[in-house]
Amino acid sequence: MNNEETHTAGTSSDSGFVVERVYVPEEKSRTRKALSFMRANPLFSVGVALLLSFVALAVLGPALVGDPLRTNPANMYSPPSADHWFGTDVYGRDVFARAVNAARLDLSIGLAIALVAMVIGSAIGVVSGYFGGRVDEIVMRMTDVLLAFPGFVLALIIVAALAESLLNVVIAVAAAYVPYFIRLTRAQALVEREQEYADAARLVGNKPFRVAFRHVLPNSLRPALVSATLVTGWAVLTVAGLAFLSVGIQPPTAEWGVMVGEGAGDIITGEWWTSLFPGGMIVLAVMAFHFIGDDLMEERL
Amino acid sequence: MSLLEVEGLTVGLVGSPYPILREVSFSVEPGEILALVGESGSGKTMAALATMGLLPLGIEMTDGEARLEGQSMVDPEGRVTRTAAQISMIFQHPVGALNPTMRVGHQVGRVIQINQELGRTEALEAAVEMLGHVGIPGPERVARNFPHQLSGGMCQRIMIAMAVACRPRILIADEPTTALDVTVQAQIFDLIKSLASEIGCGVIFITHDLGAVAEMADRVAVMYGGQVMEESPVRELLADPRHPYTRYLLESITHEVDHRVEDIGVDFALRGCRFGHRCLSAHGKCNQFPPLLEISPDRSVSCFLQLEEPI
Amino acid sequence: MTLLEVRDLYKTYGHGAGAVPAVRGVDLELGGGETVGLVGESGCGKTTLGRVLVGLNTPTSGDVIFDGDNVAGRLQEAEFRRRVQMVFQHPQSSLNPKFKVSTTLREPGRLLTSKSSEEVEERIVETLRVVGLGQEYRSRRPKQLSGGQLQRVAIARALMSAPDMIVLDEPTSSLDQSIRSRIISLLKDIQEQRQVSYLFISHDLSTVRKIAHRVAVMYLGRIVEVAETRALFEDPQHPYTRALLSAVPSLDMDNQRKRIILTGETPSPTSLPIGCSFQDRCNLVHDRCRVETPQLGETQAARSVECFAVQ
Repeated sequence: MNNEETHTAGTSSDSGFVVERVYVPEEKSRTRKALSFMRANPLFSVGVALLLSFVALAVLGPALVGDPLRTNPANMYSPPSADHWFGTDVYGRDVFARAVNAARLDLSIGLAIALVAMVIGSAIGVVSGYFGGRVDEIVMRMTDVLLAFPGFVLALIIVAALAESLLNVVIAVAAAYVPYFIRLTRAQALVEREQEYADAARLVGNKPFRVAFRHVLPNSLRPALVSATLVTGWAVLTVAGLAFLSVGIQPPTAEWGVMVGEGAGDIITGEWWTSLFPGGMIVLAVMAFHFIGDDLMEERL
Repeated sequence: MSLLEVEGLTVGLVGSPYPILREVSFSVEPGEILALVGESGSGKTMAALATMGLLPLGIEMTDGEARLEGQSMVDPEGRVTRTAAQISMIFQHPVGALNPTMRVGHQVGRVIQINQELGRTEALEAAVEMLGHVGIPGPERVARNFPHQLSGGMCQRIMIAMAVACRPRILIADEPTTALDVTVQAQIFDLIKSLASEIGCGVIFITHDLGAVAEMADRVAVMYGGQVMEESPVRELLADPRHPYTRYLLESITHEVDHRVEDIGVDFALRGCRFGHRCLSAHGKCNQFPPLLEISPDRSVSCFLQLEEPI
Repeated sequence: MTLLEVRDLYKTYGHGAGAVPAVRGVDLELGGGETVGLVGESGCGKTTLGRVLVGLNTPTSGDVIFDGDNVAGRLQEAEFRRRVQMVFQHPQSSLNPKFKVSTTLREPGRLLTSKSSEEVEERIVETLRVVGLGQEYRSRRPKQLSGGQLQRVAIARALMSAPDMIVLDEPTSSLDQSIRSRIISLLKDIQEQRQVSYLFISHDLSTVRKIAHRVAVMYLGRIVEVAETRALFEDPQHPYTRALLSAVPSLDMDNQRKRIILTGETPSPTSLPIGCSFQDRCNLVHDRCRVETPQLGETQAARSVECFAVQ
């Protein structure tokens, strides 16, 4: 509906006539636009708010709270108080400090995993989708095999096979999600390669690989990018779950899953704060990613 | 009183001050074919949908009325009261407009069953007969097919069969042949014309192709930017176009056009005539909305120039 | 001077029972600075022929002689990419939606020519000017452009490598009438200035008439008639050409062509009859047509028709 005022040869402006526009869209202020957006997309807005809080916590928190590893046996199992917002655990460590540091660790690992899985998965997916043929067949059968395992189980197997280290956790969980991204981008690549611009790209001199990566790939990423938020949430959950089982990330590292693992038994004896707070943070974080991701899925796709 | 009277139809996005259609008026007599012609964005399809009460979500009719045989087709609560026996419509993409999961005979049969209160078997028989009537060879066999098994031309005939099965008073055809080959188009044109004269219904024929207008229509309403620019019998419009936009359109078909002139889109925010920002003869008065003025008993033009200099 | 000579070209998709013979023995010639219109309805193989000539698909058999060199099967090499370009049907999808106009235009300049970066940039500026777009369009993306503007960019892209020949596949079919004429006029100007040859593929006969010097009519993978434009439109000889032309709606209300309504529909290319493929729909058919396949033979100077009745 919008167009700029173009002056072309012989239009009405030549005769001195000026068109009048009476309907000028009212310029809503930034805040009003933001408020109406939030009202229209409540869950999404909650998700974003939560995520931003977590990011702030993860970035700024660790500098402001105490040492997550500092033990103080004398003060063990003290309930939440003004000094220790989330109380202390069996070693007297400040649960809040640990939870905040865990936020940084979990979120950055989750993000790293999603990014790695997306980059690798998309590249393979586009090649598979664009070139088709035997390459596609092989890739598809391999993803079939990988997808036969539940993601968590697959990650578990891979971490158990590799040495225990943070890097290997990232590799293992990313590997569990790569097939998902392969499928997503391959499906979109199948559509994009039939578009006329893909043919045109060949015609202007691009070799097949260039067509695939420079033209088809950027246009096939939409579903993957949208899913990336959801996958980040799942990745956090998977990492925490593995850590709960003492696989991958081990105590005394401050990580939500580790904390829940350590504090699980404490509930019976009445010390609810050692596992509830970290557990609650996992729930909130994953929920935030879900709210955002679900909304993106519905609107755009 | 005409068979169908549309008056002052104004349609816009809910909550937006921009009207998509502005005071659209036209009328159709029994047995007459009226063409609504315009380029993309002219609002011709929207006008038909508004007449049918089929406006999409988020778009509302803010003014105006559509009357069939003197009766409004919308009840006081705003609900549409017209039936398939009164007014029906065929669409541009025949294969897509049919239900892909139902056999075509069944689809036509359903329309007959609902509107004529026949039993299922009788309706199906009537449907097969209708398919034969619209020129489908071997109708019993075709009736058992699904839409994707049939060609575009066949599907369009089926859609026509569905539309005329209940002998409506008005048939709206929205670009019925744009997606079809030109030889099939010729067949469909003939079919519509013969059916229309057989049933005695009025036809609103929506198209962007002026050649099709010359073939099919008795009268034509030229639309641009949601405004009816000119309404006239076809022969007179082609011989003596009055509105600057009509002239511009005809010229671009028949003559070489200077390609250096840039393509400008429709500007819905204009206060006055929707062609104002492109019109070579525009002047101060054109900042008011020009009503459709009768310049002769059967011709109207929406342009202030017509009052000043009758050509 | 003949730029392109096609001899007995075949293109079949798939193999075995489900093989589709899209192009079945086509002979065609294209001279320098000439426009040949390739017309036909859906499924006739014109798009396939265009794609083969531009190197997007390899021919199954036959000769393609470009500038004296037999290049069938080599048309996808860089040298021919530079000399033979294409403009596609849908401007919205023929440009990469993520690329700015300047990026789209830069690619052929960099990849197909040996010009330096500055020279390429200069050529971008120049080519935009030629197609009638100002320099402000360089930073725009397809989403921000109208159909006509997009098609101008597509034409600019085809011109960047200074080709000898451009294949245009329905370049104006998805554009509005008034914009269509502008694009045609632009193409003609470019041809005059640069002596580019065009293979103009279209189902829209009225548009082809405005730009083509000669016209070839295709039916089911074969060319049934070739003639100079004027001769073809004024005196069509092949029965299919006659039916095709008679089906085109005309603005001239007094001279509406007597319609030759073709019966039936185009047979499927997978189950072709023996003999002339037009036999089931032809009004001049006789026994010989069911047994032998007619070949394209010259009936008059510069005119060839593939039909026993005419030869």
